[in-house]
Amino acid sequence: MKAEAQLLKGHLDSLLLATLEAGPLHGYAVMEALRQAGGSRLDLPTGTIYPALRRLESAGLLDGSWSVVGGRKRRTYSLTAAGRRKLHGDRAAWREFASTVNSILEAAPCPAT
Amino acid sequence: MPGDLISAYLAELDHLLPAGLAEEIADGLAQACEHHLASGLSWDDAAQAAVAEFGDASRLAAELTRHAPGRRAARCLLASGPAVGVCWGAALIAARAWTWPVPDAARLAFGTALLMVVAVLASAATSQHSYRRTRLAVPASVGLITLDMTMITAVLTVAPAVTWMLAIAITASLTRIGLAATLVPRVLAR
Repeated sequence: MKAEAQLLKGHLDSLLLATLEAGPLHGYAVMEALRQAGGSRLDLPTGTIYPALRRLESAGLLDGSWSVVGGRKRRTYSLTAAGRRKLHGDRAAWREFASTVNSILEAAPCPAT
Repeated sequence: MPGDLISAYLAELDHLLPAGLAEEIADGLAQACEHHLASGLSWDDAAQAAVAEFGDASRLAAELTRHAPGRRAARCLLASGPAVGVCWGAALIAARAWTWPVPDAARLAFGTALLMVVAVLASAATSQHSYRRTRLAVPASVGLITLDMTMITAVLTVAPAVTWMLAIAITASLTRIGLAATLVPRVLAR
């Protein structure tokens, strides 16, 4: 499980960018969207999500904006043009990587000599 | 008492984080509470589940501090120190700067101010748990800009000639002024 968490962390930025591709979301909604998409495997802790959103915002990949909902201040994140480009790049790299790994893992075993 | 549990959690966050970040987490915590209430939990259980979901407040604050823009800005400016320092050191030695008509008190004041700025930057860069301490990067950046401008002005005023080595050092300082001026608004924005 620990290895799986590390693997997820390695792809955290791409996962967050992909979650926000459809439209702006606030931090808790991002967590919920990840949970719904990936079940318990993507139940990332708050201590991971909020700092990562801020980091992506600092990097210019997300744009954060404040609104007031039900008397509470809410910060909503949306993809910037740079974030969208990064997501497309990450997605292409992941497809290529997954395809390579699949071709090896799914290949029929070589006959013993 | 769920209200007490949530209030205590939010009070700790208020103490550890700047207002904007604490408000963002507070909103998330309220939504987590509402989510658990909607799933059928009692107020008590919903509050406990929400707090458990967000984890220990000091750990969350520490994680946010680790990614604070002030911490990154301070590290960036500290990293520029050796390069700019070598440029100035080499240029001043080559230009025999100790023969320039600069009062000893001014040299001492400059050196002391530089050490203080470096110490404040180091404090912001190494902050592990205090988000507020990372914001020391702002006054330190302003101090660094002032010191670089002082150095450039002093050299242009008292140096008999601006050698190519001094020109390189001045360019290095101007580059750092530009970097610091870019970083300060980013730190203030969050």
